[in-house]
Amino acid sequence: MSQNRLPLYAMPLIIFVAALLQSTVAARMVIRGVKPDIVLIIVVIGTLIYGSKVGIVWAFLGGVGVDLFSGGPLGISSLGLMLATVVVGFGHRVLSRYHLLVPLGASAIGTLIYGLVYIGLLALLYEAAQTPLFQWIALPTYQLPFWATLQDVVLPAAIYNTTIVLFVTPLLNRVPEVQEV
Amino acid sequence: MLRNTDRRPRTPGDIRIRLIILTLAALLLMALQLTGQLQSLRSAISFVTAPAQLGTTGAARSVTDAIQFLLELGTLRRRVNELEEINASLLAENFSLREVERENEQMRDLFQFSQTRPGLELRGAQIIARVIGQESTNFLDYIEVDLGAIHNIAVGMPVVTEQGLVGRISEVNNITSKVLLITDPSSAVNAILQSSRLNGVIRGDPSGNLIMDFIPQGPVFSVGEVVLTSGMGVRFPRGIPIGQVIERRQRDIDIFQQAVVRPSIDFSSLELVAIVTNFDPQEDVPALAEPTPMPAPITSTLTNTITSTVTITP
Repeated sequence: MSQNRLPLYAMPLIIFVAALLQSTVAARMVIRGVKPDIVLIIVVIGTLIYGSKVGIVWAFLGGVGVDLFSGGPLGISSLGLMLATVVVGFGHRVLSRYHLLVPLGASAIGTLIYGLVYIGLLALLYEAAQTPLFQWIALPTYQLPFWATLQDVVLPAAIYNTTIVLFVTPLLNRVPEVQEV
Repeated sequence: MLRNTDRRPRTPGDIRIRLIILTLAALLLMALQLTGQLQSLRSAISFVTAPAQLGTTGAARSVTDAIQFLLELGTLRRRVNELEEINASLLAENFSLREVERENEQMRDLFQFSQTRPGLELRGAQIIARVIGQESTNFLDYIEVDLGAIHNIAVGMPVVTEQGLVGRISEVNNITSKVLLITDPSSAVNAILQSSRLNGVIRGDPSGNLIMDFIPQGPVFSVGEVVLTSGMGVRFPRGIPIGQVIERRQRDIDIFQQAVVRPSIDFSSLELVAIVTNFDPQEDVPALAEPTPMPAPITSTLTNTITSTVTITP
């Protein structure tokens, strides 16, 4: 196992620890009602370094980790993070991640995609709960006002996450470029 | 013919297949959880993760408190030279004693709260949200408490503190439960304005405030009024403080008025809560109940509780 690959194999553990921190430490880092998405930041950074092929797997695992400590449905964060990873993966090769705007843009776009997927799926679930077809399951109803959530939660979270990535970028640039695995 | 040993070029197909498989896996997980098939698995996972959360939150709290303490210490040092002589062991002892004192204070308040409400059977619970974890996403507002099915906690039970209403139990595992906070947009609490006696429904707002909706047009209410649970809908006992009106929203074109309410509880610093274990929430009753008939007062709803049973367990 080469030294460069070590973080790659340690990533599931890192992501689990991140999910744990997300539900404990992040709650103490709340600014204007928003906490940082530690798992999302790590998945985005990992994807920029290693590519979206492995990033998708981390996104899936990270999403499960986040949902385990959440009141939301299990798997919903995985879907949001995976879609974010696919888009962020373009920053791995197509664009040079050493350009400052790439990690910053990746975290902002990643947060937006994750947020939109999360809100959208909850809305879909709410609609499904209202239809007679799903009455027998007694689906939980999550009601999130779309625009208010976008304005008060998703956009501030995107700014918060991007700010954190801004401080992490110098460290990120020290990690050597890794081929898509 | 020599075998091509070059790295296989990146094919979008691989990613697509992986994406499809993992998407299906995520959807399967979601379906299994929503149909209640993963209950035992989640209980087992929470059994394993709860101590880890407990430890991490404890460590995070210690670090935060230590930083705050050191900041305070720095200020005090500038003011008073004697503080320089405090040794490290005393600091550590002070630190742990302060923690104990704070918990004791909260326990005393909770006990006082339970004494003033003899009809409610209260069971004290440490909030795991503070101790082992809070809601991990920005979209929902849940906390986790360290009481579960083995402590006879059931879905729908109201959760309170001495300051007011916290929320209701939404999911129960073996040793932990999740509480849907009243600040979550999915939450709905029938409420009444204490002075003007106007009824409405309290909902969470993504901005962090509470919105009291469905207040009838016409009657005037004022900023500063206290908002209490009304007991309508029989989801929560009546008379529990929710917050205070900080803004009145009234437009002639709307059917109802709205009030922006500041919660009486600081949800970011919740540490101990009490779960009302003998209140029977009626799940099927809609959040906005019909104006008539009025439900019976909570004291008569709790028919089986004649004696005041107060069990505060830290």
